[in-house]
Amino acid sequence: MADPRFIRVRDVAKTYVAGATEVEAVARVAFDVAEGQFVSILGPSGCGKSTLLMMCAGLEPASDGTIEIAGRPVVGPRREFGLIFQDATLLPWKSSLENVLFPIRMMKRDPAQYRERAEALLGQVGLGDFLHKRPSELSGGMRQRVAICRALIHDPELLMMDEPFSALDAITRDEMNEALARIWETQRKTGLFVTHSIREAVFLADRVLVMSGRPSTIALDFQVRFARPRDPALVETPEFAKICAMLKRTIEAGYARSGRSAA
Amino acid sequence: MTDIGLAALAEDPAESRRRARIARARKAKLASLFKHVVLPVLTALAVLLLWEAAVDFNNIPKVILPAPSDIAERIWSIRNLLYANAISTTTEAVAGFAIATTLGIVLAASLVYSSWLRAALYPNIVFFQLIPKIALAPLFIVWLGIGAESRLTFAVFISFFPVVIATITGLTNVPGDMLRLCRGLTASNWQIFWAVRFPYALPHVFSGMKIAITFAIIGVVVGEFITANKGLGYLIMFASSMAETTTILAAIAVLCAIGLTLFGFVTLAEKLVLKAYGHKAA
Ligand SMILES: Nc1ncnc2c1ncn2[C@@H]1O[C@H](COP(=O)(O)OP(=O)(O)O)[C@@H](O)[C@H]1O
Ligand SMILES: [Mg+2]
Repeated sequence: MADPRFIRVRDVAKTYVAGATEVEAVARVAFDVAEGQFVSILGPSGCGKSTLLMMCAGLEPASDGTIEIAGRPVVGPRREFGLIFQDATLLPWKSSLENVLFPIRMMKRDPAQYRERAEALLGQVGLGDFLHKRPSELSGGMRQRVAICRALIHDPELLMMDEPFSALDAITRDEMNEALARIWETQRKTGLFVTHSIREAVFLADRVLVMSGRPSTIALDFQVRFARPRDPALVETPEFAKICAMLKRTIEAGYARSGRSAA
Repeated sequence: MTDIGLAALAEDPAESRRRARIARARKAKLASLFKHVVLPVLTALAVLLLWEAAVDFNNIPKVILPAPSDIAERIWSIRNLLYANAISTTTEAVAGFAIATTLGIVLAASLVYSSWLRAALYPNIVFFQLIPKIALAPLFIVWLGIGAESRLTFAVFISFFPVVIATITGLTNVPGDMLRLCRGLTASNWQIFWAVRFPYALPHVFSGMKIAITFAIIGVVVGEFITANKGLGYLIMFASSMAETTTILAAIAVLCAIGLTLFGFVTLAEKLVLKAYGHKAA
């Protein structure tokens, strides 16, 4: 039943124009994502990952090409999308619970009807005792967990995450990956996960798209076949290490290529 | 029983360390209170005493410089006159401040939401900031006469710019991803303004308001100088025409008290609101 072409990205390109200067961020990208699939988009900093994600989210127009999601061309933002950014971007004056309910208010729905779901989500990420704490009373990792719950509260079909854990320290980051993987098992949305961490990309995803250096294209489309649910110990296995090493070589080759073409 | 309990407590090294820590903290707090509250007050008192002594010692005539005690006496003896004029000045200053704040926030919001309006007006507003606006005060009398309208309009005119500029800074200071999140939820501009932009802007709005209250008082007093009709500014002008230096200084002292009180109210409101909104104290 799952739509094998839930997301269809067709020859999408993006050139930023600011006054007289033009930055060709994304050159020509095409891929499909099946419904329910979790796809990591991996690439070096500045290669256009955020740009690609923002175009999929309808927050940035494409300069060329088309994006279709759920059978309809993306022309603007949709409520069926959930977004998570690098910073938690919580409202400092609201509690965790209120922050999770924020999308509900913005969509003019009744927060009371979502309260139970909000509490359940927060409980699932281990914040059951922090419902009424403000962001300033939470650690960086806790704040980002609130942001995950906020993105899921309205039960979106597609979750888009732009380096959600890049601002966290390595230990917290591993914890967050495990928390996301766990919540993923229960929610099973389609996911686009942008990161520049190879480990994180492989651990979480069904599939990894490697982007080359700017102007970017898809350098590699790699299926990750580890069984789910995934055990945190997976990252210590030789197979895992082999895949990471291969992806690293691909990224470095992509760098070299774009370096040559720029010269 | 109790004695044994107390003795046991006293012997507990962790407990005595804790008590020593509390004592140290209390001492540090007292020292800070002395340095930041008692010391400046003492300095001010010392200056007043020095002033009093200098006037007495050198037999300076009251027309040139009355002693603080003379001023205090005068404040008491003309208290009804001061009171009536102080009410007029305070009312007009508060009204001017309130109008300036409202207009300033509305204009700032319009400028943030309309790029055309912003392009048309913002450079001019910044330019206007640089004009010595006090020089324009007489024009307001030409246009609006010598009544309260004139003073009020002038007070609004000079106190409104700091609110506009600070509010624009605050409203555009919202993290880009926060706005992206709202747009992603297809929230309307109106919703985004009230739920996100305005609360985020509050620390800036208040810093604009603190300048505005000070400017509003200046505006009203300058207005009173030239409309010569009522208020403490008028009293100062009138007293100066009679060489009543003591009355001038009495009126100035009352003006200072009004200024401090109004500024204090705005600062208090700022503290309460920013705390409620979880902003770091400015
Ligand atoms: N709004 C913008 N205006 C102009 N250039 C931009 C803008 N956003 C991003 N860029 C440029 O586009 C390129 C890709 O940026 P981005 O998509 O943020 O990369 P990544 O997320 O992979 O680090 C960078 O060179 C960046 O400077
Ligand atoms: Mg990015």
